[in-house]
Amino acid sequence: MNQGRINAVIWRHLYNFRHSLDRLADSFYWPAVDILLWGLTSIYIQKSGANVSQIVLMILSGLVLWMVVWRSQYEITINLLEELWSSNLVNLFSTPLKVSEWIAAVVILGLIKMLMTISFATALVWLLYKIDVLFALGWLLLPFMVLLLMFGWVTGFLVAGLIIRFGMRIQALAWMAIYVLSPFSAVFYPLSTLPVWAQKVAVWVPTSYIFEGMRSVLFGGQMDQANLMKSAGLTLIYLLLSVMFFLTMFKQSKKTGLARLE
Amino acid sequence: MAVDNISFKIHEGEIVGLLGPNGAGKTTTIQMLLGTTSKTSGEIKYFDKDFDKNRSEIMQEVNYASAYIRLPWRMTVWENLMVYAKMYGVKKPRERIKLVLEIFRMSKYTNKGFNTLSSGQITRVMLAKAMINFPRLLLLDEPTASLDPEVADKVRKFLLKQQEKYNVSMLFTSHNMAEVTEVCDRVIFLRKGKIVAEDTPKGLARRIKTCVVKYKVNGQETAVKIKEEEIASFLNDLAKREIKYEEISIDKPTLEDFFLSQL
Repeated sequence: MNQGRINAVIWRHLYNFRHSLDRLADSFYWPAVDILLWGLTSIYIQKSGANVSQIVLMILSGLVLWMVVWRSQYEITINLLEELWSSNLVNLFSTPLKVSEWIAAVVILGLIKMLMTISFATALVWLLYKIDVLFALGWLLLPFMVLLLMFGWVTGFLVAGLIIRFGMRIQALAWMAIYVLSPFSAVFYPLSTLPVWAQKVAVWVPTSYIFEGMRSVLFGGQMDQANLMKSAGLTLIYLLLSVMFFLTMFKQSKKTGLARLE
Repeated sequence: MAVDNISFKIHEGEIVGLLGPNGAGKTTTIQMLLGTTSKTSGEIKYFDKDFDKNRSEIMQEVNYASAYIRLPWRMTVWENLMVYAKMYGVKKPRERIKLVLEIFRMSKYTNKGFNTLSSGQITRVMLAKAMINFPRLLLLDEPTASLDPEVADKVRKFLLKQQEKYNVSMLFTSHNMAEVTEVCDRVIFLRKGKIVAEDTPKGLARRIKTCVVKYKVNGQETAVKIKEEEIASFLNDLAKREIKYEEISIDKPTLEDFFLSQL
């Protein structure tokens, strides 16, 4: 064993650690998200007095619906990263392909893959736990899915815009970004569990209305239609802004050249 | 600024070489012509159409290959070419893919993953991709950079055949001066983003006025740089001085000499 060589390997990874957003996220971001998310969920469960079957239904439904958001944003950002990883971006945009066509393609692809994932996940939940998440939500499932899907696109286009502008050094955002919003979305606990300042933020996060509505329906209540409309309004505005942001970043990136990203 | 106020035309069926030292703006020029780097001012026209207004329509008849660009590595050669055939709306894509793979002698690698190919094979697939849409104009950024001399020679012959048979125009960057001399009808020389010379390869070489006369006396070689018109009097002088050389050669200036003179 040579101490110098052992040190060299350690230094190699420490140097890399300083420059890698992925490694920093592994060490600090994910533990923080997990502690926050599951800590708040635990506090809610402790205080709620809900029975175990209700809590299981709420958590599994939240999990399945959150997959809609995650999957739709992931599809956009990963498809862009795939082109960068394989040095194919310049090839792609040196064809007759328009940016709007690329956007349409990744959105359609995201929709197909999201349906695959959700079908699989709901079937698995039913097989393993005998819980029918889709049936439990009734007709509201449709607007929930559509709005969550669209909000996934919002974060997808925001992150894709940053990646197309700043390149692969911020690729970790493809995995990280959506989870910044998960505590404010109140996926597994009611908004009232959040501190007051976070509740004020959550008002501007359209998914928070959906998950509040989901819990309300699951626990026998009704979804407030005004909240559904608020969520739809915010989502549509954000979607428009996020697509504009992506197009602006794409244009900006072309000033220095797409080739530099590969 | 990578490229500064340059202006040039490529005529139908013409192969134009874009030369210059690293950082001269060759790749930036090609990227601007592809629309993957935006220009700050000026206009680009293809086939009498404005590029900014008709980009999609124009790119239908243009293609590109570079030694530095790749295709998705998890996909097979066939799958990659099929994607690009669809992108260009090629009619009968299967037949076209078979043909371009045959031309580049890559048929046996049809179902191989892109990540299993050697760098020479990758270049040949990239060139096959560049020919998938029967382009009228090919933009080639150092297309033979990673090829062995034999394959590079085949690629050059193929390009010349495309020019002859289909009147394909090409803009070609390379660091191989012999290659540029062989392939290009005209050369544009860039330095610090500006065009500093434009001529045929021979025309540029002729701008260097000195030849190198090498002669060997008693096994010792001497090289003298001399103007072309002074060669006769120099040889006369050697004869007068009764210098008996064992070997003598006259190296006329080449494109490489011009290139070096511009650095």
